[in-house]
Amino acid sequence: MEIRELLTSDLPALMELERELFSSEAWLESSMRSEIESSNTYYVGFFDPDLVGYAGLSSVPASFSADIQTIGVSPNSQGKGLGRKLMELLMARALSLGAEQVLLEVRADNEKAISLYKSLGFEQIDLRKRYYQPSGIDALVMRAKVKQPIVLGIESTCDETGVGIVRGNRLLANALASSMDEHSKYGGVVPEVAARAHLESIGSVLDQALSEAGISIDKVDAIAVANGPGLAGALMVGIGAAKGLSVAHNLPIYAVNHLVGHVGADVLERGSVQLPTIALLVSGGHTSLLLVRDLLDDVELLGETIDDAAGEAFDKVARVLGLPYPGGPQIDRLAVDGNPKAIRFPRGLTLPKDMEKHRYNFSFSGLKTAVARHVEKAEDQGLELNRADVAASFREAVVDVLISKAVAACKAHGVNRLLLGGGVVANARLREYAQEVCDREGIELRIPRFSLCTDNGAMIASLGAQLIMNGRNPSGLGFSAESTLDVTEVQTP
Amino acid sequence: MLLAIDSSAGTSAAIFDAGQLVSNVVFDDPFGHAENIGEAISEVLGKAGITAKQLTSVALGVGPAPYTGLRVGMAAGISLARSLNLDLHGVMVLDAIAHAETGDVVVTTDAKRGEVFHAQYLAGQRVSGPSVISPGDLVVPEGSRHVTRGCDAELIGRYAISALANGKDLSDVSALYLRSADVSPSKGKRVSG
Repeated sequence: MEIRELLTSDLPALMELERELFSSEAWLESSMRSEIESSNTYYVGFFDPDLVGYAGLSSVPASFSADIQTIGVSPNSQGKGLGRKLMELLMARALSLGAEQVLLEVRADNEKAISLYKSLGFEQIDLRKRYYQPSGIDALVMRAKVKQPIVLGIESTCDETGVGIVRGNRLLANALASSMDEHSKYGGVVPEVAARAHLESIGSVLDQALSEAGISIDKVDAIAVANGPGLAGALMVGIGAAKGLSVAHNLPIYAVNHLVGHVGADVLERGSVQLPTIALLVSGGHTSLLLVRDLLDDVELLGETIDDAAGEAFDKVARVLGLPYPGGPQIDRLAVDGNPKAIRFPRGLTLPKDMEKHRYNFSFSGLKTAVARHVEKAEDQGLELNRADVAASFREAVVDVLISKAVAACKAHGVNRLLLGGGVVANARLREYAQEVCDREGIELRIPRFSLCTDNGAMIASLGAQLIMNGRNPSGLGFSAESTLDVTEVQTP
Repeated sequence: MLLAIDSSAGTSAAIFDAGQLVSNVVFDDPFGHAENIGEAISEVLGKAGITAKQLTSVALGVGPAPYTGLRVGMAAGISLARSLNLDLHGVMVLDAIAHAETGDVVVTTDAKRGEVFHAQYLAGQRVSGPSVISPGDLVVPEGSRHVTRGCDAELIGRYAISALANGKDLSDVSALYLRSADVSPSKGKRVSG
């Protein structure tokens, strides 16, 4: 006996069984085809070796609700528990999709089916008179509630202390404290300063998240924490706090990958991450280009920066221009009045000779040096420096290289989706240029709201919830901080 | 029931009931704090045969100690105590070490980078420190003993119970670093020669 998802090629066998079971009330082949081929449905079949049972579920992302579309078992295979197995598969899928309830309709005279549904937690919520035609039989509308896991997630990989709470795919709280101001006098994130700030904030951010969600810790089903990649000392504060909570309340704990958390943030926005997608994550600590075929099982690192992160380059160039930290918003503001084509700054790793080893890698240190040279030369020669032009031209070089490589990855992998994440997404020109290029190339661009793009606890909670909703086991209590955690390791066991 | 946590040297946890030690777990590894903190607390509860919900207070070693490890135990203690609504007490680790000794002592612990954390006690009272000094500057007065050892949760718990009984205020639970975060703002240097 084989259980698998139904394909268009199963249509003839499926229609034969459908007609045998439902005769005059059977679906049309065209309806069945569009059901199977829809991206919002899940159709599964039992084969022994021919099709002997099938069932389908439909759920529109972010609707928090799913519908049992149909279920049927061939007369010769009835009474063996196949119907129950099919229903259990659909219910598990509804859980993994974030549905909080599952609805179905059943013929009022189908006592066997009604008792099966009742045993699975369905209750009648409505009656539709003479719903089935031509027989004129009533339909019972039944509903089962799905318990989505409430997960508290902790983020402390860099300079943001985040605690988020989700219930399945629903965002309940996203509390944050940032030590950004403390770093400003140093012109960049100082690891020890960040770690000290995490310890000072973690208790109050935790309280804030619970109060924002309006729940007590007793309602939480699991703890998630980002255990890498990030600053070791900073990570360890979040891990300590997460383990303390886990032990205090006897809750399972999930150690999850911070970068994959960024990709998964879109789940909280749209109910699912459309896959496959190319993801470009750009922040003060990361510049990573990912190919995501499956959020939990198949994340591939295509490239990353070989020196400075893009956000770091903004900070360093801001300093060269005498602007305060963080540099991104400062340069954005100054660049408004500048000409992005005034100075042709270098685009790192874009020459033909770089293509073999560094097709999808980034380098920003040469760019930063070029800007510094330009500024020093003007000063040495006593020339007037057009700082707005420098800012605009620098920003253009960064944005150009980021988006060009991301779009090249989309094309090379035949993936027409691009997801942006990380704090540098706040950069107006990056968003504008990405939209422009994606529109031209027919690529669907996704940018979650800014509070989900920057480092935050909700995305960590959400990735933890995804693991639970897909039946994954918790991590052991002994996991460590992994400052260079590989992006393929979505969860540390 | 008091839970004591210390990660100033190794990672350890201890439980006291009515002032008596009930259970104690010590992981010596001076680098395994993040890995061991969960197990330490979980095991010490298991050995005592209680759940965290039966605790009434938490005592934390707040340093001075190497920062990275110290923060792990403190973060765990803070999240545990706050989420369970428990009283939280901060214990200076040199006080806890001195408390276990008799007579006048000078206590030092490893501060890394060739330095030591230091405090001096006469008749059970701290008369100098805590401070970070070079070992060469250590003075052990006539009649005092030099004690150098790592702290652990049992010492933290014993000190907290005694100090609280004597009406001492242990409400400050901020980490004691004794050094600034060690950075100076960069002036930025020229790239062209």
